[in-house]
This record gives sequence, C-alpha cells and structure tokens, in this order.
Amino acid sequence: MELFEAIRTRRSIRRFSDKPVPPEHIEKILDAAMMAPSAGNGQPWQFVVVTDRALLEKIPQIQPNGEMSREAAAGILICGDTSLEKYPGNWVADCAAATQNILLAVHALGLGGVWTGVYPGGERCQAFRDFFGLPQHVIPLAFVPIGYPAESKEHENRYQSARVHRDRW
Amino acid sequence: MVLFEALYKRRSIRKYQDRAVPREVVDKILGAAMMAPSAGDARTWHFIVVDRREEVSAVHDALEHAEPALDAPLAIAVCSDTSLEQFPNNWMLDCSAATENLLLAAHGLGLGAVWIAVWPFEEFVAAARRHFAIPDHVQPLCVVVLGYPAEEVPSEDRFDASRIHAGRW
Repeated sequence: MELFEAIRTRRSIRRFSDKPVPPEHIEKILDAAMMAPSAGNGQPWQFVVVTDRALLEKIPQIQPNGEMSREAAAGILICGDTSLEKYPGNWVADCAAATQNILLAVHALGLGGVWTGVYPGGERCQAFRDFFGLPQHVIPLAFVPIGYPAESKEHENRYQSARVHRDRW
Repeated sequence: MVLFEALYKRRSIRKYQDRAVPREVVDKILGAAMMAPSAGDARTWHFIVVDRREEVSAVHDALEHAEPALDAPLAIAVCSDTSLEQFPNNWMLDCSAATENLLLAAHGLGLGAVWIAVWPFEEFVAAARRHFAIPDHVQPLCVVVLGYPAEEVPSEDRFDASRIHAGRW
C-alpha cells in the first residue's frame, strides 16, 4: 500500500474475523515498529506478542473497553524499557512512535487494529504488569489487538487549518 | 512510495539543501500528521510552522539543542491544546503518533527531517514556551526540523528478536 493511502485510510478497527494472522505478518509489523525514531537512537522498546486465545480472552479483565481482544487473532503489548533509555522520560514518545508504525503496518497488510491505552493509567499499568509478569524497569504503554477486519470504516478528512500557526502561537 | 519502504528507509536528516519547501508540501505533511489516532479521537494537536530562514534560525537560538535548525528552511513545533483532551495525559502519545506520521510523510515527499525532543525536558519546554509564545494550556512536544536532504543516511536494520516476548515476559 502506498504511504499516503495508508496514513489517510487507517482507522481504528475493533471487530475481527476469526481468520488467523500469519506469524510472518507479526514479524513484519514488529520490524516496522523497531524502525521508529527514538531519542539518541536508544530504541527503548520491548514487545509482548499474544496469540494464545485463552490469554486474549482475559485481556478485558485488565483492560477497560478492551472487549475487542476477545475477537482478535493476536495482540501486541508495547512496553518501554527504562534501562535502555539514553534520555530518561523519552521512552513514552519513542514507544508511541513505534505504536503508530505498528498501526500503519497492520493496515497496509490488510489487517485491522486499535491502540488501547495502558500508560499513563496507574491501575491499568499495574494490571498489565502483573498479568504479563513485566519486570520493574519495563512499563506497558499500549495494547494493540490485531486481526482481519470484520468491519469497514469510511475515510475521514481530519485536516483543520485552525490548528496551523505561523512562526508563533 | 510504498508504506514499508518509508518505514524501513526513513532516517533522521540534519543537513539540508538551500531550497525552500513549498507551502502545499507543508500542508500535505500536516494533513498526514492530523490523521493520527488520538485518545477519544480528541485530536488535541496544533502545529507552529516556521518557514522563513531567519525565523528557523531564531528557533535554533532559542533551543540550545536544536542544532539542525541553524541552517534549515523549515521547522514545525508540534504542540497539544490540553484543554481539548477527553482523557487527561494522553496528549504526548497522540502528538507522538502525529509526529511519526509527519516524519514518514516528509520522507515520502523527498524531504529529510529530525525530531528534536522538547517534552519531557523542563528546560526545553520552558524555552519553547517562551520562544513560540505558547499559552499555559498548551504543551509543546517537539520541534521537527525539515528540508530537502543534503546528506544521505543509509537505512539501518533495527530488527532485534530479543525484544520480542511470546505470551508472557
């Protein structure tokens, strides 16, 4: 898929068919994630890939509004590894950029996904930490359920000229 | 350009040709940024576009770590109007996703760009606030410096299988 088409037509997908996602697609998606820019090129990310049905069905117990995980064929938990940071605190921005790459790659492969927020919710972070057995230096940022879409969404034009300023605010 | 080519080949570019970036190219890049996902679809982003050389070099003077802005035709400060947030403290995630779209779009249009972090570094936030006259309810995330590239940075394979965990940490 062409770059601008991917950027323009990507939407959050929350309904999935039961068709499995090929493992090579997951690897390609993670490769895209790891190509994101990061402060000092520190690449402070870690990923937990979930394809086990039983685990996916339990995600709604730790993720409010996470019902779509029950239908998803896979899920990726994007985490920041604070021990890898060159500039402390920047893992949030770095991992958010990596998550956006994941969403674009998912869409271009004909899959659908949605960014469900974990960070900065304190309780949610702890619930994910306990569920996935994350060590203290690893902080969960977002969980992205992935699958073949069972819903289609219209493109949206979100350009707002009122959001563009010249030289100063 | 195909999405995956953009994802895999985009690198930080810090040296630029002496050539202006047309307004319609800037608008296309901003349009891509505004297509990012955001928590509750709140789209809290604002962009301060600086496209006159003397103003770009003023950005360099205001932010001590914005070295590439010294001799660049274009800079875009990415900010969030936090009063628009539906879910507080998601603005840095939303604006990071928008910034990643912006960088990919710039690469796809033949530009080079580099993300210069402002948030979460207090002194840079204060300096950006002062320089761009950013009001209190608005948070600056970063300044992206752009231009037609005057350096070639080869693509880098960043895939690291040790960052991928199956099922649990």
